[in-house]
Amino acid sequence: MRAQACSAPSDSLNPKKPLVLVAPGKGGARIVALNRAACHSGLGVGDLLSNARSKVLALQARDADPASDAAALHRLALWALRYTPVVAAWDEASGANGLFLDITGCAHLFGGEERLLADLRARLHGFGLAPRLAIANTAGTAWAVAHYGHTDRMIVRSGDEAKALGDLPMAALRLSGNAQSLMRRLGFRRIGEIMNQPRAPFAARFDGHVLLRLDQAMGRAPEPLLPVVPPAVHRAQAMFVEPIMSTENVLVAARRLLVTLSQDLAVDDAGARVVRLLLFGVDGDVLPLDLGLAAPSRDPDHIVRLIALRLERLEHDLETGFGFEAAAIHVLVAETLTERQTGLSMSEDDASPDGLARLVDRLQQRLGHGAVRQLHPYQSHSPGRAEQVRSATPTPPRPEALSDQAASNAPAALRPLLLLPKPEEVQVVALIPDGPPRQFRWRGITHHVADAEGPERITPEWWRRTDDEERDYYVVEDVAGRLFWLYRHGLYGNRAASPQWFVHGVFP
Amino acid sequence: MHLPGTGLAGGVLHDMSAANYGDQPAAFGFLCAWIASALKTRTGPAVLITTRRALADLGQPYGPGLRQLGLDTSRLLIVETRNDKDAFWAAEEALRSEARPSVIAGVTSREIGLTASRRLNLAAAEFNTPLVSLHGPGPPELNAAATRWRIAAAAPVRDRFGALTDWRWHVTLERCRNGRPGAWLIEWCHVTHRFRLAESMADRSPVAGAGLLRAV
Repeated sequence: MRAQACSAPSDSLNPKKPLVLVAPGKGGARIVALNRAACHSGLGVGDLLSNARSKVLALQARDADPASDAAALHRLALWALRYTPVVAAWDEASGANGLFLDITGCAHLFGGEERLLADLRARLHGFGLAPRLAIANTAGTAWAVAHYGHTDRMIVRSGDEAKALGDLPMAALRLSGNAQSLMRRLGFRRIGEIMNQPRAPFAARFDGHVLLRLDQAMGRAPEPLLPVVPPAVHRAQAMFVEPIMSTENVLVAARRLLVTLSQDLAVDDAGARVVRLLLFGVDGDVLPLDLGLAAPSRDPDHIVRLIALRLERLEHDLETGFGFEAAAIHVLVAETLTERQTGLSMSEDDASPDGLARLVDRLQQRLGHGAVRQLHPYQSHSPGRAEQVRSATPTPPRPEALSDQAASNAPAALRPLLLLPKPEEVQVVALIPDGPPRQFRWRGITHHVADAEGPERITPEWWRRTDDEERDYYVVEDVAGRLFWLYRHGLYGNRAASPQWFVHGVFP
Repeated sequence: MHLPGTGLAGGVLHDMSAANYGDQPAAFGFLCAWIASALKTRTGPAVLITTRRALADLGQPYGPGLRQLGLDTSRLLIVETRNDKDAFWAAEEALRSEARPSVIAGVTSREIGLTASRRLNLAAAEFNTPLVSLHGPGPPELNAAATRWRIAAAAPVRDRFGALTDWRWHVTLERCRNGRPGAWLIEWCHVTHRFRLAESMADRSPVAGAGLLRAV
């Protein structure tokens, strides 16, 4: 599969002729993957490319691209979500490669394990892949049978693990190269030969590694797997008879799925907070769309609306592809949402309690996360820290509590309506060095000061590590009646140079 | 009576602009004061939509200052958009939402065009929500706003000790559907959080004053 994944985008490769992928290794470029034709020509993984070229005429060689391999495998893993919500990609740590699908409780949806395997094989063949598939009770046995087993015995029944593994070579235990060669020297060739040996010598000699793999394959030791996507709390999926292409059809399908999901969620008294829509393309590509909701909801109309806004934001057009043959909606995070009374009065004018959350959701879907904000007061006398700008949360405002908080937080001195994110330096003429300015120049315009109120001295918070100094703030009115919030940086006399002045905000 | 009926009508679009570049903070302040007064009389959150460019020169709305103006910031939703088109979309979305905002204000760099203004007018008419579009100075464009206001900074009121007490604006009503244009010096009372006519103009007929109080 590795070679196939890489060869797909290439231009003039002939997959029927010997083809190898090489990576720099000891003594030069070495083969890391090869196709069937190259295998039949007597090449193997780890051979030097120069030796291989002398053995095989017209050998096709390409550089290995592990990043693209991993990306292709991830895409395939996403695609495999159509069979089961738990799909894990084997990694180096588990000593294996390929994909693992946990089909517990899923097989009957496809008409049994045999039909599932046949379906999976047919679809993978359609993508130009040559899969080796196996079903077993444990991940380790499935891997061993898939790689080394007989092609007509791909399904290992429960309890048959020992029989299935017995004839397989040692490599089927996912051992490292050293352990394998040591095993060969000790005379063990088949897994069945070590199954009934005393365990203690193996544990001492092989660091417990061999026994762990054996136990994992036999189901005596756990084998944790990392799914490519977090398993969903709730999911719904639909396969289409004909591929769908238009945005409207996608929305209709999503709505149908959400109606199903909303019933499941209602049973749990839950609402979705994070929803993922997966669109399975005919060409094997999967388009995942993630939606975050400001408040738990199970209203299909609302979520469909968000999906529509999200689709609008997509860079490329949905309708340029080959279409989608299946769609799934996963609820990744659900929160408690009890039934609410919608109101005694029948008047349409009542604001719905979820209205604000829905508005925030819709605005964020189109404008991006963080576009909708609220200002929260924060207990600090430093002007830049006296408020926190947060993404809007839909908690309904409690007027009495918040107005108390606001009142206690309002500083006695005037504060500007608009605060510059970064104070801007101005040139100032002052009558006396530590007095208010008489004239200042900001952004190329000279303002003559008619009146000034201040100073209000604000010292930096000593418990925070800052290089800031004291600031003397003045509310300065120019002759046109405009007001500015100016400050002098540092105390007068502390520094040799003339004091610096900054504009920090403007008043109405 | 300069304004038809009892004041700034809900359900239509009102257009505000700064008289000059330097009056933009003043115009923004007037808008915030107007939001504060609208929040007192109506239920529901206020939605303030700004584009990144419109406020790029002036900084960000500052909570402590807004609270001093009497604006309940816990009921204020600030929406920042990339461009004017998104801002008008957000305004319409807010208008039609189930949240029933008390007031929707948009701050854009350019004046709203005819098509967008008619669209927003139609949407606002359904829900009787007041809608204000504030933009920078510039020659007036053709649009379907019911009123057009021009705001300029004015020297604030100071008490006899010279301390700042109330903000003031020169407010010009340039166009008013079914009403007469006019110009006022309006101040914002920091204690009651209300607009009122400045004292120097208080010799107008009481009807005009009362109408404007209800108006804004």
